Amino acid sequence: MFFPQGDFEMKTIVELTVNGERHELAIEPHWTLLEVLREHLGLTGTKEGCGTGECGACTVLADGNPILSCLTLAAECRQMHITTVEGLAKEGKLTIVQEAFWESGAVQCGFCTPGMVLSVTALLQENPVPSEIAMSKALEGNLCRCTGYNKIIEAVHLAAKRLSSVR
Amino acid sequence: MTELQYVGKRILRKDGPRKISGSSIYAGDIRLPGTLVGGILRSPHPHARIVGIDTSAAKRISGVKEIITGKDTLGIKHGFVETPRYPPDQLALAIDRVRFVGEEIAAVAATDAEAVEEALSAIGVEYEPLPGVFDPVHAMELNAPEVHPSHPKVKEPFHNIAGKTESSWGDVEAGFVQSDHVFEHRFKSHLRTHGYLESQVTTAYFEPGGKLNVWTSSQGPFIKRAKLSATLGLPMSAVRIQKAYVGGAFGGKIDLFSHEYCAALLSIRTGRPVRICASREEVFIAYRHGQPLIVQMKTGVKKDGTLVAQQFCVINNCGAYRGSGVVVIFLVWGFAMLPYRVPNLKYEGYAVYTNNPIRCPQRGHGAPQMRFAIESQLDMIAEELKLDPVEIRLMNARNPGELLPNGDNVHNCGLKDCIRKASEHTGFSEVYGKARRTGPEGRFRKGIGMGVSAYFGGSLIYPNSSSVVVKMNDDGTFTLLTGALDIGQGAETILAQIVAEELHVPVDEIQVIAADTETTPVDIGAWISGCAYVSGNAAREAAMQVKNKLLEIAADEMGANREDLILENKSVYVTGSRQTRLTYKELYGASLRKNRGDPIIGEGHWRTMRDEPMHPSLATTKGRWSENYAFDCQVAEVEVDTETGMVKLLRAVTAHDCGFPINPLLVEGQIDGQVSMALGHAFMEEVLMIEGRTINPSWLDYHMPCIHNVAVSEHIDVITESYTPGSPYRTKEVGEGYVSGILAAIANAVYDAIGVRLHSTPFTPEKILRALGKIK
Repeated sequence: MFFPQGDFEMKTIVELTVNGERHELAIEPHWTLLEVLREHLGLTGTKEGCGTGECGACTVLADGNPILSCLTLAAECRQMHITTVEGLAKEGKLTIVQEAFWESGAVQCGFCTPGMVLSVTALLQENPVPSEIAMSKALEGNLCRCTGYNKIIEAVHLAAKRLSSVR
Repeated sequence: MTELQYVGKRILRKDGPRKISGSSIYAGDIRLPGTLVGGILRSPHPHARIVGIDTSAAKRISGVKEIITGKDTLGIKHGFVETPRYPPDQLALAIDRVRFVGEEIAAVAATDAEAVEEALSAIGVEYEPLPGVFDPVHAMELNAPEVHPSHPKVKEPFHNIAGKTESSWGDVEAGFVQSDHVFEHRFKSHLRTHGYLESQVTTAYFEPGGKLNVWTSSQGPFIKRAKLSATLGLPMSAVRIQKAYVGGAFGGKIDLFSHEYCAALLSIRTGRPVRICASREEVFIAYRHGQPLIVQMKTGVKKDGTLVAQQFCVINNCGAYRGSGVVVIFLVWGFAMLPYRVPNLKYEGYAVYTNNPIRCPQRGHGAPQMRFAIESQLDMIAEELKLDPVEIRLMNARNPGELLPNGDNVHNCGLKDCIRKASEHTGFSEVYGKARRTGPEGRFRKGIGMGVSAYFGGSLIYPNSSSVVVKMNDDGTFTLLTGALDIGQGAETILAQIVAEELHVPVDEIQVIAADTETTPVDIGAWISGCAYVSGNAAREAAMQVKNKLLEIAADEMGANREDLILENKSVYVTGSRQTRLTYKELYGASLRKNRGDPIIGEGHWRTMRDEPMHPSLATTKGRWSENYAFDCQVAEVEVDTETGMVKLLRAVTAHDCGFPINPLLVEGQIDGQVSMALGHAFMEEVLMIEGRTINPSWLDYHMPCIHNVAVSEHIDVITESYTPGSPYRTKEVGEGYVSGILAAIANAVYDAIGVRLHSTPFTPEKILRALGKIK
């Protein structure tokens, strides 16, 4: 067997804050954040492309920082505020980053999109006018097979421009 | 002529807001109460006899609800191709023999993933390993292990022949005699994979009353329904494939997969929903990749560069079952004959069984491999004859209206314009050869190269045609029902644009209901490059029926002649009196009153090559293939690091004739994606196998382009068709062909940079350094 025996399957109560809502969940210590989001909270907007931290489709924000939810244990997230793609739009209104992705044609199949949008959201929060190098650095962990990244880069420029005019 | 409002415009994706906010539902996102988790037991051997399977211990594991093996199936075979010559040859679960690593042997459904894993490892399978064969040339030898008997109609003394395609015209031997020069080369391509981000996943639910509901990551629901119902022995009416968005496919999700069959059968047997999701490692090891080809080619030319004769022998390593291996050897004949005139040509292609996983289509379906070979050799010929690569291409390129050897017409072929524009835009002839003329100086060397390709759009293959229904709603908005599946290419958006154009209503006010075998009409599917043309014309016809009904009622209500009525902004007016108008909402109400409550619904149907009974012969190439050929000329600029052997694609220019771009924003996205995929295939990606077992089954070891590898991608539209509301239109494909021209252009650019020709893909640092003499 792969798993250690003993207390391993004992559930513990974990309080998670996701998209501003508090949840009290009984979880097993080995459950990943991705699993809890998708299977227990019904937040299927977060995608699993590989489950091994290679593609970035499962990216969510933990206290505003992008993390790979497939490599993060849910129990580690007790004290954090988790943001998933479902938590971005407010009252049905897309965020500036989301709008920019749509308008630039940066979305095709849409499977990488939630992770991409969250990575870009975190980037622009920290660095409102990123250079192309900073953009590449921020998105190097998010694979996209459809767009070739050209229109994703356009979307980041557009979002940065609009955010700077809002500020 | 009135200006187009919606067609030809950069309309934003209809599915955009849902995808961007995480609310679009993919097959793995379906949540049904009581869903069981499923998993597949796969062969660890590339070739073995199954002596026995013991599931008794596995069945006793807590949480396990059902285990199926080949004995629980009806044993009905399926295949990518199902014709009299190539009958179905694959079982959903193996019975007495496995022929590749990963072949499916049993499936488990349990309450959780841990129980599935435990059960899979507790199933006892006794194998008697058999010798395997992995290299196609070796597999053809008479003493090679037999994967399957050779096709009975192939008479050559070769082993393991899955299929053969032969075609010829003119007199190739006489052609070589008439030629001033004859060139002969061999090119090899490598095993590449699709790299769809969403794994293979299916949720199946056999509901009480006997209806099997299936949500699966696919490229079209109708072919899945046909193959699932056939293999399960269920009537089509008992199988419903429901819509699920698809996280990338690129050819890899068309045919029936065992996990789909197993999820369905496990649900039938347990009465509960079952979800099976392949791990990424499983996708790399056991699922279908592209098709590496060996292309032996001989070309005869006149002194001035005119092509006189060409002979091809193509060998396709087609894996353990026929898959689409026997289709590729037909298609690459087509990709050889499309762009250039060759008066004498002889082609033979062999699909050869080996103990490798089954192959399936992959974006371009043979074209990248074939164009790499042909365009590389054409540059070699040009250099030998001291001709400009642009000139030799222009000289041999097809003209508008030319008939192809199979009787197809290239219609408004824009290839020559593509070549001219790509060349002018990049200053090609001034730059080409410069690096080699000035000699090897410095660490980084730049090169430029050109490649040409062409691709068919839509062909006759099940289900052959598309239908669309447009329904009018009480408030004057519309609902579009289509079986087309949006796999990212934008099917829902372009069909809505066409209906919007015909009916003068904003795209936002058209609801699209798509890709459900029960509630939407039949569609050819997102895998034959025919959506914009076939499904698009069906949408146009459906909208026109609605328009006619609206005009009829408006003429009656307004006491005017139909010919004098104008549609504008969801209303109708009589020409000359723009102020007096009836809105669509009012007209719909009037129609209900006058027609005793009958609503306004339009239906449209389209089939390419309407009078052709079926697809061309895979064996002889006879018969019509397509009436829409897209053409492109692409230029690549690369930079080679002569110290490391790494190559960067700096810039890709795509001059293309896709007919008429219905949505330029989506067209650009298709081009950029193809450029990126080609650069991955050229420099980075290769599925490495040892005796049929993938040794790099992850994205850590199989490197796809990431954002650091982005290339500048420039587009030049060569518009050769037009869209006139109310009339059928012709357009061409844009989603597949451009992955090929750019691969060929990259190959030629690498040569231009280093002065050494590479005859096999990928162009790895090792090959580059060896070519430069830096390593042995």
